[in-house]
Amino acid sequence: MSESVSVPNQIDLVDLTETKPKTSKLYSDDESDHESENENDDMRDIVCPICKTSRYLSPDMKFLVNPECYHKICESCVDRIFTLGPTKCPYENCNKILRKLKFKRQIFDNIEIEKEIDIRNKVYKIMNKLEEDFETRKEYDKFLEDREDVIFELSNLDSNNEAQIENVEKKLMKYEQMNKRLIQVNKMKLKNQESKQNDMDSVQQNLEKERLALIKQMEEQNLEDNQTYKQKIIAELSKGTDKNKIIANVKMEIKLKKSSQRRKLEELNKVLKSNSYSYNHFNKFQENSNEEFADVPFTPFNGDRELHRKYKVLEDHQLYYDPFISNLGKVSKYVANGFNEKSIYDRLLNEAFLGFGVFIEEEKSK
Amino acid sequence: MSELFVKEKKLGEGTFAIVYLGKKKQQEGEPKDEAYVAIKEIKLDLMKQSDTGDNMGIDISAIREIKYLQELKAHDNIIKLYDVYSDMKTNSINLILEYLPMDLEKLIKKKTIIFNSMDIKLIVLQILRGVNHLHRLCIIHRDLKPANLLIGENGLIKLADFGLARTYDDGGINSHSNLTNNVVTRWYKAPELLLGSKNYDFKIDIWSIGLIIIELLIRVPYLPGKDDLDQLNLIFKVLGTPSEKDWPQVKALPNYNTNLYMYPKPNRQEWRKRFIAISDNFLDLLMSMLEMNPGERWDIVRCLESEYIREFPRPSDQMELVRLMNE
Repeated sequence: MSESVSVPNQIDLVDLTETKPKTSKLYSDDESDHESENENDDMRDIVCPICKTSRYLSPDMKFLVNPECYHKICESCVDRIFTLGPTKCPYENCNKILRKLKFKRQIFDNIEIEKEIDIRNKVYKIMNKLEEDFETRKEYDKFLEDREDVIFELSNLDSNNEAQIENVEKKLMKYEQMNKRLIQVNKMKLKNQESKQNDMDSVQQNLEKERLALIKQMEEQNLEDNQTYKQKIIAELSKGTDKNKIIANVKMEIKLKKSSQRRKLEELNKVLKSNSYSYNHFNKFQENSNEEFADVPFTPFNGDRELHRKYKVLEDHQLYYDPFISNLGKVSKYVANGFNEKSIYDRLLNEAFLGFGVFIEEEKSK
Repeated sequence: MSELFVKEKKLGEGTFAIVYLGKKKQQEGEPKDEAYVAIKEIKLDLMKQSDTGDNMGIDISAIREIKYLQELKAHDNIIKLYDVYSDMKTNSINLILEYLPMDLEKLIKKKTIIFNSMDIKLIVLQILRGVNHLHRLCIIHRDLKPANLLIGENGLIKLADFGLARTYDDGGINSHSNLTNNVVTRWYKAPELLLGSKNYDFKIDIWSIGLIIIELLIRVPYLPGKDDLDQLNLIFKVLGTPSEKDWPQVKALPNYNTNLYMYPKPNRQEWRKRFIAISDNFLDLLMSMLEMNPGERWDIVRCLESEYIREFPRPSDQMELVRLMNE
């Protein structure tokens, strides 16, 4: 399961198309768009090869394919030919028997990809073991690899080589029979997981909506408030009391109101953040791998850090005043370079203590 | 001394130095040592004369290289210096270094290699560890770039080329005015250097690492400026022009031009769009390493402590890198 950083892997694409059919538009050959770009190239594509209806005459014509042979047929032809029951594919020399039920819209432009995705989905349904069904990560990876092998074999079959097809299908059947119960169990699990994910998504969406509404409300309120306060100030001033006091009072009022709203927003933000759905598949492996490498714990520094320093930099540097160093903090070129009094003291002390507690003779004898 | 090693093949050439592939010569009664070494021959003739014809002696960069390599050689992620000798015949100083067949630049350019997130983390972690060791000992490398990060046959990444390194002593307050801003290869130069600062500190190395990591992800240099001016402009275009608000006193830097075009600073969403495939914590690390204001930029310790380093998946094993290299 190599997960490359720059290239999105195919499995992701499958998931997308599977769970959210709406997004499939992204990858579908959205015919109308395509043809405007390369009208000349695709002239034959816009004519149904069966009934010869052209897109030009019936603009809402749609093409369907059947996963048996992946030949393009327009929707009305499918209705016409297959309503009475399964029949042969109307393409010449294609003797596949097709059923109306199996026809679907083509999602990917490239028929090879379309084909592979279908095979993938089919295999995933059968070989659906989950991480938790394995003891170690290695075994799980082995399973994933085997699954990819089956998919690869199936999608690269020579359609004329009957024996080969039979061989692979037999393998799959065997697996299915051997793991019948587990497949059922995992099917349920996956279903649950999916519905859980959907629930989480909708909750998240609602929260986000609420947050945006609140922000908008705050903005509107702000505008409104500014005006009413202005009027208030004018009204109060006309009564002729101390003007500074009035303005201060009104300002205070604004502040209180704003802070209560802000607090609400912050709370919502927090809920949003903590609710973000992140299911860690490797929680289990985390434990395992920790056991495996128990004698070499992972540390970012690899021991190259002094954890117990021999000195401490005081937080309050009023206790020690060095006019030279504090004055540097007022020189703009030092400030521009991120001058920080504390880090200067830290560095100076570090230098002073560097090498303390190191016994050269001892180290050499090692 | 020179009889102890034989130079076999020229590996590369710089202004003052030539690097050879070499081997230890077999001595009588000793077992044959087959291990390769790299021999960096620093020519004294070439640097002997200044414009006025005076004898300049040994170049400071050679001294620095020897000094820092001797001090740092114990660390895993820093190139090992075995020996130094002078050769009267060729009038040169020779450094016997560990032979490392690969560098990060070659690895990045080899497009057939695909890194997964664990491999990336392994490389990032090793670079950070090496630099941490330098910074811990108050040394700034000042020339970090993919070509200076060598990779050994065992998959260890090692910092090399300390010709520009220097100590940042006295907490950086006394030597401040002496630092030159003409360091670091252009594409990896921090904005404060380009703005002409002479009081910079360790944070310039962090900036370079940030850009190296991005180059590792996108496989092309992220900010390839044509000259120093173009480089600065490119940085501002991509990361926003700094204002007095997010970088106090930036206007005090010598090369700061008040007529700069104010590019907007990219927000998190914008960053997210640029690097879709990496984790949130990784994005945080990158954003903090490429913080314009050196005062806000993370230091090496904070980088190593970042969530990204600690989160799962763990970095892959060194052997994985060896496998990738040999593919």
